[in-house]
Amino acid sequence: MGGYGDVQMIDENGKRVDGRGPGDLRDITIETDVVPVADGSCRMTWGTNEVIVAVYGPMECHPRKLQRQDRAVLDVAYNMAPFSTTDRMRPGFNRRSREISKVTKDALESVVLLELYPRSKIRISIEVLSAEAGTRCVGLTAASVALADAGVPMTDMVVSVASGKINDVVVCDLNKEEDNYGEADLPMGILPNSGQLVFLQMDGDLSQEEFNQAWQYNMDAAQMIHNFMVDSLKGGEA
Amino acid sequence: MAIPLVPKLLRAHLAELAENDARIDGRQQWEGRDVEIETSVLPRAEGSARVRMGDTIVFAGVKFQIMKPYSDRPNQGGLMCSAEIRPVAGRNWESGPPSPESIELGRVVDRGIRESGCIDVDALCIIPGEKAWQVILDLFAISDDGNLFDAFALAGIAALRNAVVPAERFEVGEDYSLGVSKTPIMCSYHKVGDRFVYDACGREELGGDERIHITLGDDDHVHSLQKGLKGIFSTEEFTEIMGRAQERSKEIRDILDSL
Repeated sequence: MGGYGDVQMIDENGKRVDGRGPGDLRDITIETDVVPVADGSCRMTWGTNEVIVAVYGPMECHPRKLQRQDRAVLDVAYNMAPFSTTDRMRPGFNRRSREISKVTKDALESVVLLELYPRSKIRISIEVLSAEAGTRCVGLTAASVALADAGVPMTDMVVSVASGKINDVVVCDLNKEEDNYGEADLPMGILPNSGQLVFLQMDGDLSQEEFNQAWQYNMDAAQMIHNFMVDSLKGGEA
Repeated sequence: MAIPLVPKLLRAHLAELAENDARIDGRQQWEGRDVEIETSVLPRAEGSARVRMGDTIVFAGVKFQIMKPYSDRPNQGGLMCSAEIRPVAGRNWESGPPSPESIELGRVVDRGIRESGCIDVDALCIIPGEKAWQVILDLFAISDDGNLFDAFALAGIAALRNAVVPAERFEVGEDYSLGVSKTPIMCSYHKVGDRFVYDACGREELGGDERIHITLGDDDHVHSLQKGLKGIFSTEEFTEIMGRAQERSKEIRDILDSL
């Protein structure tokens, strides 16, 4: 976290730099069936974030050493396109994208009914075309929509959203400027039907009260986002 | 790229269709799929385009960096063009270091744009011998249903045409339009069932043989050629597709100019 607490990001009326209140989300759109050659796909815009996810499979698992006799494995790759950031991103994996791929895989393997497809693989490609802040949340949320679009059985979809703190105020869904000067970030992956969690990270500095507030913002936001996800899968524009 | 199985049945089917002057998706021999071009689609890129041809979808994004000019060309900036085909685009594309296929794609598109002279590399110089702009064109496939070559080349030139040099962000003056003086267009032909067709779809690529890529400039000048994959072709065959490329490249250029 940057932690430049002297930069004023919230005005005297409690409005944020982009006019939102503390608990408000950025604009979200969700569209399915955007990669015609894939088994399932999703395009999600969230503020000026844009992510495309394609799902292939279940299919034969190569290399064989990754195969599991009793269940399917998820092959999750999170990647940022070279033109997705202000300074060009060099193509290829880095430590950050590997970690995000792993925690996304851990979250999704918790909900997909893997035992139905022993010895197979389901490939999930998360491509960030435009990054603002919170791309891991957009990627994970869009991936569960793409899995549903592919008809992969799951106990629930994962909704991922983050809250954080700027100028000692807890706010939901940090944008780029807020993220740069933010004092904390708490991304969560929530199962909207049960309120359980499959993904959790945090960095920064939060008091117990602030932490509880951030947690509650995420829980409330997850229900809203879940409605958009269901609408998009029912064929409407979310 | 994983080598996909080529079903003998598909090859036989394509050969039979060719004999009857038909194609697997109902098109004529020289008929292209509908082309959709959208520009300024990526908020973080200085120039961008999305091209859709049938079920093939690609993006192109332009970024700028400051480079030190090469010592033998102190008054020139640079152009770099790279293609990435990640597993998102199709089940046969795998992650890992760039595959020979994606390197070929990037290099053939790069040659067509570079050799047309559409970008004035002298104008990219900021301080001779010290500072110049490097234009980086990144081509990114979202959905591969054949003929990524033409889709990439078209998205690439469309993205360059709307690129803005971010001089203010780098504190070297005011932002200005990159300016592209020419419009090179690539047309690709695949041998499918013993005859060439224009703009092959995924199944035609899978069950076809060699391919030929032609990039033509505004006045039909030839800027890049490439023959790919195993196969033999004659001068007559090449002469015919060159004529077809002249016609088709004008049509595509008109689509671009109408944006």
